[in-house]
Amino acid sequence: MRMDTVIMGGGLSGLACGISLAKRGKRVTIVASGQSTMFFNGGSMELLGCVNGKTIENPLEAIASLPESHPYHKVGVDRIASIAERVKLLFSDSGIDMTGSANANHWRITPMGIAKPAWLTLNDHLRIDDLNQLPAKRLALMCIRGYFDQPNSMLAQGLRNLGFEVDMIEFTTDDITALRRSPSEMRATSLAKHLVSNNALQRIADQFNNLAGNADMVLMPSVFGQSDSSDFQTLQARTNKPLRLVATLPPSVAGMRMMKQLRHYFKMLGGTYLMGDTALSGTFDGDRLTSITTAKLADMPLKADNFVLATGSFISRGLKADFERVYEPILGVDVDADADPEQWTRFGVLQPQAYFGYGVATDNQLRCLKQGKPIQNLRAIGSVLSGHDAVKMGDGTGVSLLTAIAAADQIRENK
Amino acid sequence: MVTSDIYKKEYDVIIVGGGATGAGAARDCALRGLSVLLVERNDYSTGATGRNHGLMHSGARYAVTDSESASECISENMILRRIARHCVEETDGLFITLPEDDLQYQQTFVEACKHAGIRADIIDPQEAHSIEPAVNPKLIGAVRVPDASIDPFRLTVANLLDARMHGAETLNYHEVEGLIINQNRVEGVKLLNKRNGEHVEVHSRVVVNAAGIWGQRIAQQAGVNISMFPARGALLIFGHRVNNMVINRCRKPANADILVPDDTVCVIGTTSDRIPIETVDDMRVTREEVDILLKEGVKIAPSLATTRIIRAYAGVRPLVASDDDPSGRSISRGIVCLDHAKRDGLEGLITITGGKMMTYRLMGEIATNAVCAKLGNTAPCVTANQPLPGSEPDAPDQRDATKRYSFGQRAAIGRHGSLAARIEKDNDIDNALVCECEGVTVGEIKYAVHQLHVHNLVNLRRRTRVGMGTCQGKLCSCRAASLMGEFNGNVKAAQEDLAAFLDERWKGMRPVAWGDTLREAQLTSMIYEGLCGLDMAVNMEGKEDVQ
Repeated sequence: MRMDTVIMGGGLSGLACGISLAKRGKRVTIVASGQSTMFFNGGSMELLGCVNGKTIENPLEAIASLPESHPYHKVGVDRIASIAERVKLLFSDSGIDMTGSANANHWRITPMGIAKPAWLTLNDHLRIDDLNQLPAKRLALMCIRGYFDQPNSMLAQGLRNLGFEVDMIEFTTDDITALRRSPSEMRATSLAKHLVSNNALQRIADQFNNLAGNADMVLMPSVFGQSDSSDFQTLQARTNKPLRLVATLPPSVAGMRMMKQLRHYFKMLGGTYLMGDTALSGTFDGDRLTSITTAKLADMPLKADNFVLATGSFISRGLKADFERVYEPILGVDVDADADPEQWTRFGVLQPQAYFGYGVATDNQLRCLKQGKPIQNLRAIGSVLSGHDAVKMGDGTGVSLLTAIAAADQIRENK
Repeated sequence: MVTSDIYKKEYDVIIVGGGATGAGAARDCALRGLSVLLVERNDYSTGATGRNHGLMHSGARYAVTDSESASECISENMILRRIARHCVEETDGLFITLPEDDLQYQQTFVEACKHAGIRADIIDPQEAHSIEPAVNPKLIGAVRVPDASIDPFRLTVANLLDARMHGAETLNYHEVEGLIINQNRVEGVKLLNKRNGEHVEVHSRVVVNAAGIWGQRIAQQAGVNISMFPARGALLIFGHRVNNMVINRCRKPANADILVPDDTVCVIGTTSDRIPIETVDDMRVTREEVDILLKEGVKIAPSLATTRIIRAYAGVRPLVASDDDPSGRSISRGIVCLDHAKRDGLEGLITITGGKMMTYRLMGEIATNAVCAKLGNTAPCVTANQPLPGSEPDAPDQRDATKRYSFGQRAAIGRHGSLAARIEKDNDIDNALVCECEGVTVGEIKYAVHQLHVHNLVNLRRRTRVGMGTCQGKLCSCRAASLMGEFNGNVKAAQEDLAAFLDERWKGMRPVAWGDTLREAQLTSMIYEGLCGLDMAVNMEGKEDVQ
């Protein structure tokens, strides 16, 4: 089987890269384990939220002064703005409706009611452009009875701290009560799966209309729409006040929906998505990678002109650590990491942890290095890259998306 | 009784230390009709009680080297099976001989066990492998003994509950700052209420020092010297239960030679190092300790090499030098009870120390005998026969297949025995699960908060096992924190508590932060910082440890 490009990893960056290449007629195969950190997404994309503890208002401006080791420098600082625009287009082409701007962060609302800087936020989620001009004065915070993955007391307090008046209102419907008999059903994804019929949605809207009182906006957990935003739109149409969703603890319905939409678009463009498979090893010829093997296609190596490593960080097993070292497990390419394990972490769970900055080493073309020499046709994108702390900087999804598009461009340009 | 009233009363006896020994002594004193106050500087069972294997020794481990301890163990072992059956899992244990060990030792071992009254059956190595498939298949010898697994948190709480049911008062987060001494007589304690900073004095006729390794400091406050030799032991908890029986090495006690199944996980330990008394509060586990534990653990059960380690922890055994040898050369693991009137001319103070978690009841009995001798109380000890609350003869059995228990109810009965009946289940939400790994319901959390002295998530973990299972509180800690915020109306405190809980968990994960443990850590950071922004809601600078 010969491809133009084989991408290892089917998360946000792998898909964005695959779509970008497939759109230009390339034959692309993605090898995807089926898991993704979008499972923990809050309905937003972040370009750059925070540098050295300082909140960023204008990401484009701040990116220029990031240290040279940051992956954005490998995208090319002068190209960030145009690539960011292409990402927005990629989302809208995939049917994902988001709003935001690369030169002015807005605020997303976390499950704990904290406002965090964001670049793009789903249109059905609560978004605040200006903390001095809230989109509503009084919120009816609708809490699903028996659903514990929205920390209601914290969310309400957080919203009040932002200046909203908040009425916490518990509600249920017959459909929800029936689900509650099995505790494992009270997860966001199973609620989203079951609350789809017109009748079920009508019963929820009836509750909103009865209980929301004099609030001027209804807020509820993001447990709707496993495939698209039509369930939300049905609910909004039947609710007599503006309705917004707020992110929950994992699983994230919004994140999984976005992945589904991106996958669907990629396949529509002719891409091949090998779901539930994992890359195991590669064969090199000099400074080129010639093929990879996967768990399911053990006796049929995947050959391609170009390869992309989009396997994610430790959490996605794109990086591994054992008692003594940090390594990249599939191809054994070079990593940037402290040799002394004592340096990987530090006391204080909320302190910056060095391991977050570890990842595969690349040249300025995002090409992976092996024993210090670039592999000509192997690029790394997304969370597997070294050089930034996605949690502290609020740039994880941005790095995934921008390096994905940049790598796709480089692959085409180097042809 | 409200706390301020507790301060005003004068007691027959104040017990210092809320570990198993203190709790056992409080129960015994209360059952003999004494008025009792127990004070603990942190949460109950935060010292050596909560920092061991959770092994209910048969005594076999000590049979060759310390026959007195061995006899004590087997006798207490049989008692605990009766009085604390809801805290005990009757797993039995194996003592295995590996090719690197001397098979001759097995004979010495079996004879010593028989001498101490411990059942010890030599079985075929292959049979051992078939009844315990996790054991190293290269074993060349195996002996089956009546070891078992015990939950020390549950055991301590059951003793405290029974003490309270018999009139005792108990206070956690109350630190002894000094003793009230009047003309060579101890007449009470000076306390700091660590939750509000208040200083109070409470009077009693006798004070029992049951503070474990910290007992040396308590004695110093009375001007009395006890030479303790802190022995530190580190342990590792693995992410699932690979073994169903306790597995020991059949050789002279050494590092990391016991693997114990505890509920849904298993624990390997321990190392053993003498440490200076000044460092007993430093519970950090080192890389060297982890290395030893892993290397030795894999010899016992090879599958540990590929099992996720969920955390590392360390405890300090309070070993005591015998009075006729202050050099410390002859240190006993046995029980030491000192009447400071006889020893030091100081009336009203008794120290109970040494021993082991599983001989806590006997230690409580010995201390109570000493108290009663002073107070002229002649009531007999009944703690060996009277079941602890939760283990009454008619207590429900979680394994009873004829009952239609839900997962949460079954788990709660396992944890609380007959006391599970106190958990609310009238409301349809009370049965909802907060912690899926351990089956903890909303009702059980309410019960713990209202009746088991729970002030924070770490307390809650010790009482209910919330967050103790395979996922280590990844999501359930947030659910529980939000519920506690609702119960007490203080959301900010609930968030700080959640951050402190995660920090406490990180302390245990950090020494083993590689492989899947590092993945779990990254996942936690992504959820609580990346997704939720908890780091922006709380300020952890300068926070004291919440234990």
